[in-house]
Amino acid sequence: MTTADDIFDQSSSNIQRLGLKEIPFTESPIDLRSETLQRIFTGRQNELRQMFNLFQSRERRRILVYGRLGIGKSAFLLEVLSVLRRKRPKMLTTYISLPANLDLATTALIAVARAMPDDNWAQSQLYQMGIPTEQALKERSTKASANMVFGAELSEKDLPITKPQYPTVSLETLLERAQEKYPEGVVIAIDDLDKQNPSVVRQLMHDAQGMLKGRAWFLLTGHPMGMTGDLLTSERGLFDLQLKLEELDLPTTYQMLINYLSSARINNNCTDPKDPRCVLPFLPETAKRFCEVSLGKPRLFNRLGNTVLSTAADLQAKVITPDVLEQGLRAAALTLHQQAALTVQEERVRVLLLQRGTLSDDTITMDDLEQIGFRSFSDAYLILERLEEADLAHQLNQDAAKAFAPIPLPPSDDEFLSLGGS
Amino acid sequence: MNSDRIRGDRAENLEQSIAAYELALQVYTREAFPEDWARTQNNLGIAYRNRIRGDRAENLEQSIAAYELSLQVRTREAFPEDWAETQNNLGIAHNHRIQGDRAENLEQSIAVYELALQVCTREAFPEDWAGLQNNLGNAYSDRIQGDRAENLEQSIAAYELALQVRTREAFPADWAMTQNNLGTAYSDRIRGDRAENLEQSIAAYELALQVRTREAFPADWAMTQNNLGTAYSDRIRGDRAENLEQSIAAYELALQVRTREAFPEKWAGTQNNLGSAYSGRIRGDRAENLEQSIAAYELALQVRTREAFPEQWAMTQNNLGNAYSDRIRGDRAENLEQSIAAYELALQVRTREAFPEDWAMSQGNLAAVLMQRASLTESDTDLETAIALLKAALDVAAPNSPNFINSQYRLGIALSRRYEHSQNSSDLEQALQAYKIALDAISPEHYDRKQIWQALPTTQSILGSRLVREGKWQEGLQLLLNSVRQLSTGDDPLAHANALFQTGRAHETLSDWDNARLYYRDALRLYDHLKNELGIAKSRAGLGSVLVSQGYLEKGLAELDKARESYHQLQQPDKAAEVDIIYQAAQRAMERQTTEAYV
Ligand SMILES: Nc1ncnc2c1ncn2[C@@H]1O[C@H](COP(=O)(O)OP(=O)(O)OP(=O)(O)O)[C@@H](O)[C@H]1O
Ligand SMILES: [Mg+2]
Repeated sequence: MTTADDIFDQSSSNIQRLGLKEIPFTESPIDLRSETLQRIFTGRQNELRQMFNLFQSRERRRILVYGRLGIGKSAFLLEVLSVLRRKRPKMLTTYISLPANLDLATTALIAVARAMPDDNWAQSQLYQMGIPTEQALKERSTKASANMVFGAELSEKDLPITKPQYPTVSLETLLERAQEKYPEGVVIAIDDLDKQNPSVVRQLMHDAQGMLKGRAWFLLTGHPMGMTGDLLTSERGLFDLQLKLEELDLPTTYQMLINYLSSARINNNCTDPKDPRCVLPFLPETAKRFCEVSLGKPRLFNRLGNTVLSTAADLQAKVITPDVLEQGLRAAALTLHQQAALTVQEERVRVLLLQRGTLSDDTITMDDLEQIGFRSFSDAYLILERLEEADLAHQLNQDAAKAFAPIPLPPSDDEFLSLGGS
Repeated sequence: MNSDRIRGDRAENLEQSIAAYELALQVYTREAFPEDWARTQNNLGIAYRNRIRGDRAENLEQSIAAYELSLQVRTREAFPEDWAETQNNLGIAHNHRIQGDRAENLEQSIAVYELALQVCTREAFPEDWAGLQNNLGNAYSDRIQGDRAENLEQSIAAYELALQVRTREAFPADWAMTQNNLGTAYSDRIRGDRAENLEQSIAAYELALQVRTREAFPADWAMTQNNLGTAYSDRIRGDRAENLEQSIAAYELALQVRTREAFPEKWAGTQNNLGSAYSGRIRGDRAENLEQSIAAYELALQVRTREAFPEQWAMTQNNLGNAYSDRIRGDRAENLEQSIAAYELALQVRTREAFPEDWAMSQGNLAAVLMQRASLTESDTDLETAIALLKAALDVAAPNSPNFINSQYRLGIALSRRYEHSQNSSDLEQALQAYKIALDAISPEHYDRKQIWQALPTTQSILGSRLVREGKWQEGLQLLLNSVRQLSTGDDPLAHANALFQTGRAHETLSDWDNARLYYRDALRLYDHLKNELGIAKSRAGLGSVLVSQGYLEKGLAELDKARESYHQLQQPDKAAEVDIIYQAAQRAMERQTTEAYV
């Protein structure tokens, strides 16, 4: 009989058979330690250059990093911050993902206060908002009476944050205090501006104009979906730099694969693209094919990589031959589809997309639209974006049109079924 | 806070107080103990005003009588402070008075408050002064005489004065009450920018809710949640779909406290509001939302019976009629019957004499559903009846009011349907005439924007595009997008195409080229499908100029060329010339590009 422990050992030996300590692919960069990020982060030289050029001046700047879902905005932001942390020890760098229902000033306040655990005033601000503070945790072990109070505070996880009454003023005050300790300035990176709906974002930006022109550096990220596009036009003057992140080209994607694999490989840590061992357990040809289907999109690359390696491990393979890769991609197609949990309406659009190969506002016909129950492409557009979010479609860089195509994965069995059904 | 207790208890307590005060009055006679007697009269007045048992109108009369007796002793000269207190109470009673002429009662309240304020100055009695200002604000916001817009300004001014004393720190509960009232006044406000007023209203409610928490003041919390729900459902800024979600969430919170057992009338009112929010809801499955809406209206009608609350009953019947006429589930013919029945019930109370505006509205709705039945059954009589109903409604509707515009527009549709059968050219002429009147009347300056979300989708799209052109683009764009959404499932593809075109144009005005292009292409495809030549020409012209603005000169020139050609064929040389100007400019830009490439 096999025990659970046996199965665990089996799993790790399956991964080791591929020559790897672990599967290096992750959905999000937040889980990575900064040394790991430094090892796997690839490309974006131009964008980094533009960004760091600004940091050679004393003038504080506002920078918007934008690009489509999963293109690598968070990873880029974290990479920039970790470089700054090494090169500018007298600069305070902070990172936060924009919480729901919060204005930008309060968000920035939280980010900065968290980065200043030794500043009592900062900690009291957090405490008033019901956010657990490091200090509180420290006091726990020393003072019994405080223990009770903080214990109660900490258990109330869902407690909504009570916004400070004058967040902009509080932030100003905090930045003044920070300036004393960090003469090279304060960087506030606010990620995921667009996880809220566009009109909320517009309002947030509008309300935050004063703060954004204040005494800190701001790095913001978002993707130009839906109406965020017109945010770019309407608030144009607000940013000193708008950096658009695009898909990585094929050689860079190949290099990225090398970097990921070498960060987890047991024996060699070769990173020279000319050496075929650098992509092991892939073979150069399967590595190339893998990069092609990833379309230069880092998140898709990570999602596919994950399933491909798991499939290879399950098959107890030592290397990823074309056949193993094909099975892995097939499994990935299935996983992506299942994880998306599409509605009937969305499924219909997906099937039409597979049938047509591309759908664009320029070429779609009235008959196509009727087939999915619509009269206008603008209705279908929302669904196509939802498919893109689930990595079931991607937007093509077409001139003067919004065009989508399916991700070129081999069809899994269930896809044949739904195609036959229509 | 008393009202939060279980009703039975409270009713009983009040009976006991009344009995106790009446007993006391026999002991403390006016002659022997004038001050005590007067105080007891004042308290008796309060108890009668709050009384739950007995006839409400009669109780208020008793209350007024007691205050007036009290004031015979509590004179301004002898006891200014007590005098002001009882004057204030008298004002409140007049404000709620049922007997007598309502307009006159409200005048009385205002007079009484203003009298009291002469003695209760801010310096001498700040708290009482603030209370009086709050009540004065209430009376002005209900006032019938005088200019309504001006009354609401007075009301807001009074609340704001009250808030100078009733600060959050010093008097949190009073502060929250006046914030709630201020919210209501802003949401009714006529002057100023409507979108901005609604934002103010929401902000005030949210402040009120910081103090009126569910735990501390459940009934007040529920009231403000209900008000917040209404403000969100009227909101103009922000995403309409999201606002309706907020509105539904607020109503549902209110209903957690406003249960049928504890507060039947309020429960019914919030159910009615919830029904309206569901019927307009954008998110979720439309068929399911309409079921929810019908269910909520039917719950409301369990309390809002015809006997007990005729006006509210009629309002909810009218709403139920709307929901049935849109219903997706169930048998179509049967739903239309239900809808007709509901409107007819509503019209039994909403008569032309008693409630002309409401009558005209329900009348127009009935006509619209009769027209639907006419197309289902090809019945001539239904169409004739609808035309007659609309003409009658137009006799009463105030010119250019939302009702008037709806009825004109519907009359246009009805007459053009009749023309399809009759081929009588006068039908067609009259139809065009009605459309034209409707169109001319839709203008942002005089359209009652409080009713903007109830407007027909076509009206919304026209208003929306005018607002965008006037620079009120947030408001305009929300209206346009809302109308596009509504029309996308309707049976009027031409109106849908027009709305798509207007939305494209609005985005073009905002320099949002990508979206402009998307909507122009949608409009073009639909116009093309409908073989509407003018539509084709204008969407090509729009598309062409957007493409040129984006720098896609070649593609843009191709569209402009076709647009120019179509306008020529349609004998519209002016339009063709307009397109030509853009064409020439783009052509020159392209030549410059090619020469530069060779330099
Ligand atoms: N240049 C890069 N080199 C290596 N890995 C990257 C790079 N860019 C992104 N990644 C990885 O790809 C995955 C997706 O990237 P990331 O989460 O940064 O995208 P995003 O644009 O922030 O997505 P979202 O729109 O969902 O916020 C992460 O695992 C990240 O670590
Ligand atoms: Mg991200």
